[in-house]
Amino acid sequence: MNKMKLSSKIYSGLIFAFLFAPIVVLLFFSFNDSKSLSVFSGFSLKWYKELFNDRNTLATVRNTVILALSATAISTVMGTAAALGIDRLRSKWYRTAMKTVNDIPMTNPDIITGISLMLMFVFVGRLFGASNSLNFWTMLAAHVTFCTPYVILQVLPKLQQMDKALPEAAMDLGCTPMGAFFKVELPEMLPGIFTGAIMAFTLSLDDFVISYFTSGTGFETLPIRIYSMTKKTVTPKMYALATIIFFVTLGLLLISNFVDNEDNKRLREMRKNRKSTYTRQDDTEENKPTSGKFKKPVAICLVIALIAGIFFFGSRSREPKVLNVYNWGEYISDGSEGSLDTIAAFESWYEDTYGEPVTVNYTTYASNEDMYNKLSSGAVSYDVVIPSDYMIARMIKEDMLEPLDFENIPNYQYINDSFHGLYYDPQDLYTVPYTYGIVGIIYDANIVDEADTGSWDLMWNEKYAGSILQYNNSRDAFGTSMYKLGIDINTTDQSEWDRAAQELIAQRPLVKSYVMDEIYNMMESGEAAVASYYAGDYFTMQEAQASHVDLKFYYPERTNFFIDAMCIPKCTQNKELAEIFINYMLSEEAGIANAEYINYASPNRNVYENETYIEDMGEEAMEILYPQLGDFSELYNAYAYRSLDSDMLDYLTTLWETVKLN
Amino acid sequence: MKSAALKRKRSSFDMALAPYSVWALIFILVPLIFVAYYAFTDNNFNFTTENILRFFTATSNVHADDGTMVEVRTYLVIFMRSLKLAVISTAICLLMGYPIAYIMARAPEKTQKTMMTLIMIPMWMNFLIRTYAWMTILQDTGILNNLLGLFGIDPVHVIGTEAAVIIGMVYDYFPYMVLPIYSIMAKMDLKLLEAARDLGCGSVSVLRRVIFPLSLPGVISGVTMVLIPSISTFYISQKLGNGKFLLIGDAIEGQYVANNLHFAAAIAFILMLVLLVAMAVVKYLTTRHVYGGD
Amino acid sequence: MSKLIELNHISKSFDGETVLDDISLYIRDNEFITLLGPSGCGKTTTLRMIGGFTQPDQGDVIFMGERINDVPPHKRNVNTVFQKYALFPHLNVYENVAFPLREKKVPKKEIDEKVREMLSLVMLSNFAERRVTSLSGGQQQRVAIARALISHPKVLLLDEPLGALDLKLRKDMQRELMNIQKSTGITFIFVTHDQEEALSMSDTIVVMNEGKIQQIGTPIDIYNEPKNAFVADFIGESNILDGVMLEDYKVRFAGHTFQCLDTGFGKNEAVDVVVRPEDVDIVPVDRSMLCGTVTSVTFMGVHYEIIVDIQGFKWMIQTTDFVGEGEYIGISLDPDAIHIMKKSKYSGMFGDYSCFSDEVEELTIEEEEGPAPGGDAEE
Repeated sequence: MNKMKLSSKIYSGLIFAFLFAPIVVLLFFSFNDSKSLSVFSGFSLKWYKELFNDRNTLATVRNTVILALSATAISTVMGTAAALGIDRLRSKWYRTAMKTVNDIPMTNPDIITGISLMLMFVFVGRLFGASNSLNFWTMLAAHVTFCTPYVILQVLPKLQQMDKALPEAAMDLGCTPMGAFFKVELPEMLPGIFTGAIMAFTLSLDDFVISYFTSGTGFETLPIRIYSMTKKTVTPKMYALATIIFFVTLGLLLISNFVDNEDNKRLREMRKNRKSTYTRQDDTEENKPTSGKFKKPVAICLVIALIAGIFFFGSRSREPKVLNVYNWGEYISDGSEGSLDTIAAFESWYEDTYGEPVTVNYTTYASNEDMYNKLSSGAVSYDVVIPSDYMIARMIKEDMLEPLDFENIPNYQYINDSFHGLYYDPQDLYTVPYTYGIVGIIYDANIVDEADTGSWDLMWNEKYAGSILQYNNSRDAFGTSMYKLGIDINTTDQSEWDRAAQELIAQRPLVKSYVMDEIYNMMESGEAAVASYYAGDYFTMQEAQASHVDLKFYYPERTNFFIDAMCIPKCTQNKELAEIFINYMLSEEAGIANAEYINYASPNRNVYENETYIEDMGEEAMEILYPQLGDFSELYNAYAYRSLDSDMLDYLTTLWETVKLN
Repeated sequence: MKSAALKRKRSSFDMALAPYSVWALIFILVPLIFVAYYAFTDNNFNFTTENILRFFTATSNVHADDGTMVEVRTYLVIFMRSLKLAVISTAICLLMGYPIAYIMARAPEKTQKTMMTLIMIPMWMNFLIRTYAWMTILQDTGILNNLLGLFGIDPVHVIGTEAAVIIGMVYDYFPYMVLPIYSIMAKMDLKLLEAARDLGCGSVSVLRRVIFPLSLPGVISGVTMVLIPSISTFYISQKLGNGKFLLIGDAIEGQYVANNLHFAAAIAFILMLVLLVAMAVVKYLTTRHVYGGD
Repeated sequence: MSKLIELNHISKSFDGETVLDDISLYIRDNEFITLLGPSGCGKTTTLRMIGGFTQPDQGDVIFMGERINDVPPHKRNVNTVFQKYALFPHLNVYENVAFPLREKKVPKKEIDEKVREMLSLVMLSNFAERRVTSLSGGQQQRVAIARALISHPKVLLLDEPLGALDLKLRKDMQRELMNIQKSTGITFIFVTHDQEEALSMSDTIVVMNEGKIQQIGTPIDIYNEPKNAFVADFIGESNILDGVMLEDYKVRFAGHTFQCLDTGFGKNEAVDVVVRPEDVDIVPVDRSMLCGTVTSVTFMGVHYEIIVDIQGFKWMIQTTDFVGEGEYIGISLDPDAIHIMKKSKYSGMFGDYSCFSDEVEELTIEEEEGPAPGGDAEE
């Protein structure tokens, strides 16, 4: 092989610059002092520290790796066996059929593979009345399904290239057929198997879409966790994690290169020793060590898989009592910045109090609808969920929630009276409020004229065209336009919805971006100047804002009130434990930790009357979070979202698509 | 009257295929039947063609370029836009990836290995995170524009445009283009190139008449592996397209989130059908082309 | 010498195509036997049956008095040198040769001794640590032989082992193989389509075609007394003419009656007459038995090969005398130059040089026999 030309080098350099640009970025921002992913405010290692303190994230990393290794192990073995089978098939028909079917997962979009598997798992689960038909095993099955074809794709050519006489030669020389396979054929296939395994591992590790559809109770992988962060923000913790993954990968690469070099060196020595006896010919071809070259990494992989498997199942079977909690992403205090890790605290408190260990399986979702879909599929089983009001109403109507036994939730007494008898749970049977909030408008005072503020009109103000952010979810986006127009946000009159849609279409040219979590980056960096979002999130942005940005906040005259409340779904496996958990979340320590972490208002007197909390939050924050706008129940009942019936929802989805199409 | 040993051998290899045959049946074929089943039923699982029809007939009133309102077929427009972006991304991937695959295949063996790993490494970092990092680079006040500013170049507006979505797709699926082409090229017999030169081909025509046709199977699988995910992505368009581009993947996800499983299945079913037919046609045409009608 | 291997009435077909048709044959101890025939004649299948890779549909394979039809390859005291050597690419030369001994769990020291011994026998002592893929064809060949011989099989099967070597190397290897066979005393069963190779190396030659044995005999017998037109043509060059046996010692062909040495045919029985090109004498026309015009002359080194058109039949003649193209010459045949064969299904198919195409060569371009067990039928 010849040396690379200069032009080739430059071109490769450019390509790799392109490939590694985002990686450099995330590497860089993982050392950011603030929470922002776009404004660098100082060097710090705190996200690394927090990553290692964050049990839940580490658990998802562990889950991701376990899933990838298990999927790799199974698909490698099954794929290799299948390749052998296909290679030896005499029936041309069967072979073509197998190859065609094998192509399907590779040529079918992920989203279809994911949906199709999900539909099947859910359907079959219902058929057998299984409550947990989406779980680790369904995810594993899904991953094996899309990994195996790649293994076959790698192994089959090796078999087809292999001299068919090799196994015969081995048998001829005294091997049993099995022996011939393991001593001769397998070593020949190994490079293919190894590449296949690496591909399977990579694909499994990187997969989000298929996991998203097939994930279930109590087993969350990293990509799902990251996706669930889309209501709050993707924290630099994830960048820190990515950085670590990068260096681990790089390290492995260096080690494997080093091992290779060692082998080569050994070989060179060997050859030098024998040089004197060499007679003639072909020193040109690099003499490679022939045995053990590929065995090592494969062996290592298998051993790791085995250990991980033992670790995984071992750790499962030891803990009999499990509580499955399903919550929004980034919606519970996780122990960062010296705060209380409420889940860990609950676990130890429980063990101290009841003398037996409990494990909380904490899983996250990105939206009420995500959560509802998983629950209504009947394929998962959670003990505690924390949906928003309108979703709660729907779930109660569809008989998806258990009435609570308030005997087990004595801390309920600390809930503010304004939160009793609200529309979604008029008799206070099913819910315990967790947080609440009001939607306001955030603007950059350096850009926006003070005189333009005060109402929803700011979001339609042509002066700020290209600097306005709108929600990237239909209900909230329609909300802004309906509050602006003074339409009842829960109207059943289609023409009113049409009117709201027209308003959104009119706004579209002014909108810079339809956002969820991206709002943080865009507001912090001054990329955008006007947005509507939840009050508490304004503080997060303000903390991380760039020096040329001055974020301010106000409530327009009509706006959305929301409550997220803890409920126990019908699929619970341990209702009492769930109630104990809910009760614990209302305790002073947990309540404050969560409220300070989430930054939303708390309905819990233990929290909002607590002096440390008031001090920690500061005067401005307290004013914004707990504003005196009037009678809460009255305002809430007037402006909160209510559950829409499915025809209306369908219509809303269609209108939203129209808005997006413009 | 075959020997027992050989009989055992043959049957053990038949057995080797058995697990995967069963697996493929249960986890590849049956789920597709479920997609079809959901696509052709309503919420009560009664047969209906409504979902399928809706894909073709649903309309939206949108502003045309001249400001007038026109009625368009919602999902056909979405599908065509997805197709357009996917085709452009695939073409760029091919144009960028082909030379790098060629360079890799010609590089010293050790460099090849390193380059290969470098191409794979980004895939080990989460796809969502990588896309997120692109937001930081591409936004109007982002790293790209800061860099341009250093050189006194006016800022460019990328985020939220089709270009940003294409960049995201090209970036995320680039390795899928390079790897299959590379693996074909690495196996290519150098003597063939020498022979071509010997027979009077210039560099360009060696590429056009020998290297490219020989690498075609790799190109086909590369194109497939990039086109398919880019046509169906929903995360990239949300993040880098500023949520302004509704792609077919977004439509499916949107219907799923709205718990409209049957219509989501209908869109998926149609997409799947279109892609399978397209792939079959491509495969048929190229095998004819490469192997001369075999 | 005792019978080491017997094949009794063996038949075999693959996918309805008969590959072996009632073959019977025995092989003696210490013998160098060659299975010779064009591709598709069943020789490799026969070899594979002895090796245990293929099972007969009918008939028995007997090894040292025992029926071994169902004994798998690894339990047979028989080793094979494969056509393309089938060296294990993941093992070096040493490990390839040591393979059978490792399989038998022979102590390390003993393995080392034996491998060194075998490598020196095949003159590869310095190549022990080399990768087999870095060896030349001849070297690979020798590794394959060393590997097959190291466990001292009773029989060594060689499946066209020299096919991939160039001419010079091939001659060397032929000699080497014969030496190894003599020095080890192992029975060699050698498969080839190269008649020269067969003639020069073998104790016994089995000529096969279309799944049938055409003739078994020593090289000299086979050359001098071919049983039918196929054998006559396949072994060496032959002019084969239609003739009529007038009576014992008298045969008529090419419009002339010749004296011959053959007896035992019926009166006026139609026969095939074989005349080897080197047995034809060129004589002045007036003293000739037959005359014709020279249509082509090819210089072959030791001799010329000329084609003479005699009454429309093209004869091939090998001669050391130069004759010019277009010359009108006469030929004469001694009685011992004429060999009479009974008519067979091959009559008329061979032995005319009018188009001078080497039928056999054409047939052997691609060696393709029955599929391997578990192999691909359609590839």
